[in-house]
Amino acid sequence: MSMSTTPLTPEIVSHEGNAMVLSMGPQHPSTHGVLQIMLEIEGETVLKAEPEIGYLHTGIEKTAENLFWSQAQTVIERMDYLAPSSNAFCYVLAVERLLGLTDRIPERAQHIRVLNAELTRIASHCVWLGTHGIDLGAISVFFYCFDLRENILDLQEAAGGARMHPNYLRVGGVNGDLPDGYLAKLDALIAKFPARMRELRGLLQANPIFQDRTIDVGYLSIDDALAWNVTGPSLRGSGVAYDVRKAFPYSGYDRYDFDVPTRSEGDAYARFLVRLDEMEESMRIVEQARRRLDVPGPVMIDDTKVAAPPKETIALSMEALIHHFKIVSEGFRVPPGDVYQAVESPRGELAYYVVSTGENRPYRVRTRPPSMYNLQALKGIAPGNLIADLVVMIGSLDPVFGEVDR
Amino acid sequence: MPSTQTPPIAGSAIDPTALRPPIDDAVIERVAPAELHARLAALRDEGYTMLLDLGAVDYLERTPRFDVVYHLLKLPARAAGVEAIGRPSRVRILCGVPAEHPHVASAMDLWRSADWAEREVFDLFGIVFDGHADLRRIQMPYDWEGHPLRKDYPLRGPARERAPRPAFALKSNVQAGTPPSGRTLEALQAEVKRVREESGQ
Repeated sequence: MSMSTTPLTPEIVSHEGNAMVLSMGPQHPSTHGVLQIMLEIEGETVLKAEPEIGYLHTGIEKTAENLFWSQAQTVIERMDYLAPSSNAFCYVLAVERLLGLTDRIPERAQHIRVLNAELTRIASHCVWLGTHGIDLGAISVFFYCFDLRENILDLQEAAGGARMHPNYLRVGGVNGDLPDGYLAKLDALIAKFPARMRELRGLLQANPIFQDRTIDVGYLSIDDALAWNVTGPSLRGSGVAYDVRKAFPYSGYDRYDFDVPTRSEGDAYARFLVRLDEMEESMRIVEQARRRLDVPGPVMIDDTKVAAPPKETIALSMEALIHHFKIVSEGFRVPPGDVYQAVESPRGELAYYVVSTGENRPYRVRTRPPSMYNLQALKGIAPGNLIADLVVMIGSLDPVFGEVDR
Repeated sequence: MPSTQTPPIAGSAIDPTALRPPIDDAVIERVAPAELHARLAALRDEGYTMLLDLGAVDYLERTPRFDVVYHLLKLPARAAGVEAIGRPSRVRILCGVPAEHPHVASAMDLWRSADWAEREVFDLFGIVFDGHADLRRIQMPYDWEGHPLRKDYPLRGPARERAPRPAFALKSNVQAGTPPSGRTLEALQAEVKRVREESGQ
């Protein structure tokens, strides 16, 4: 057994004693994106795994520095493309803090944001569950998951106008109230959800093949999870109930009644159970937000320096016309300062460290990408496992490469 | 270094981090590069078990030019219940790094998660972390030149900056007189006319 300390070279295959260096990816169906893993193996046992990332690097942080504050949101939404609303949510909260508007966001807008974030979490976990199942040969789960996800994407399309990247949130609120018929569709989803969840659980949870493949695979101890900076469901699967929604509440999460599911086993099966429980907790929040949405109210802040006044008023009011023109042509300015704003995205603590120099563009938008830190833990948990279990471990960490590489 | 496509943003000489009291939950500290590692080690022993994030900011005209930004998280207890865990706290460490000697001590021996974060800052800003075991590029290709997130790095990249604008970037090739086939607008019109006459229209 030879463990080299030098980095594994990106060659297809090389030999060193009984160990062999093998490149897995970047085109591999189970890597959920473009991930290459340089593996040092002996037989089928992994001695060392070195993920190589960056194949999807698109320079989103650089691009955002050259766009207006509101335009930057559109590229930022494209980081975690399975949960675009989480990115937008975090970014607008950060900008609102810099602007000092946090306490002035209308109640209804906050409820809609929470509703959106939780629906996004369910949709994102649906993709995770479906692909996790496919990785292990359970193909039918995928169709049930995508059916449920499609219902949520319909709602996103109704509210924001697009299925994948609705860009519905705005600094100061959300872009227009929920359309007619939205709440009826939402009620139908809420009614359908429990039975669908029972089906999803029935397909996998007690399935002996699934249990065989996931129990005691990819064990992550509490110490390792903290040292590798793992957050989100992957950390809670190791038994630490750290959830940004509870630890640093934002957008009124402290007024919602929900639990933070945890498991102490720390293996792939524990992370699977945590995410399933999380989908149900998210639905609890959705139901509470739904009840609060019966009360009508404004959904955008009444501040014409940040939010363009309603289109109807520009024919009647000189100021409205000027504000509209200014916001469209040069955006708004944000007072200088720096802020670290975190939210609980489906993958963990997503945060933006935003620096403003008082201009109409962000000076720097640093992302704390939960997927990247979670994926890095693969270096710690893969050694000692079989190659075939590598796809289980990648799936159980749920990385999204738009966010890992940005 | 090639010329910048976007000029440096006005006001980059000022330091926004010093301009107003903190507006988020973090406790903020500014540490000199020489004391950075000792301070981080002390904080870790104090209970800041997680290095939440490690990033950098380039304040082009400021001295020192770069800020390396650490966010640490302290969990009062490592428990499976939200109430049992207590109230977590964050601390933000800012460390100014001069442009002429962009070196700071690596935190990889304190938190393993610093590995990729430091590689990313090295890749995109060119800040060297002394003591890092494996400091290579992570996002950009290994043979890439320059550090893209520096403010004096052109937005579209140096290669694109030097390349001439392609002909198809013009609104209409025919109107611009350079159709891909090499025929001029007049020649095309004459050909259309000829074809119409031959078909008797």
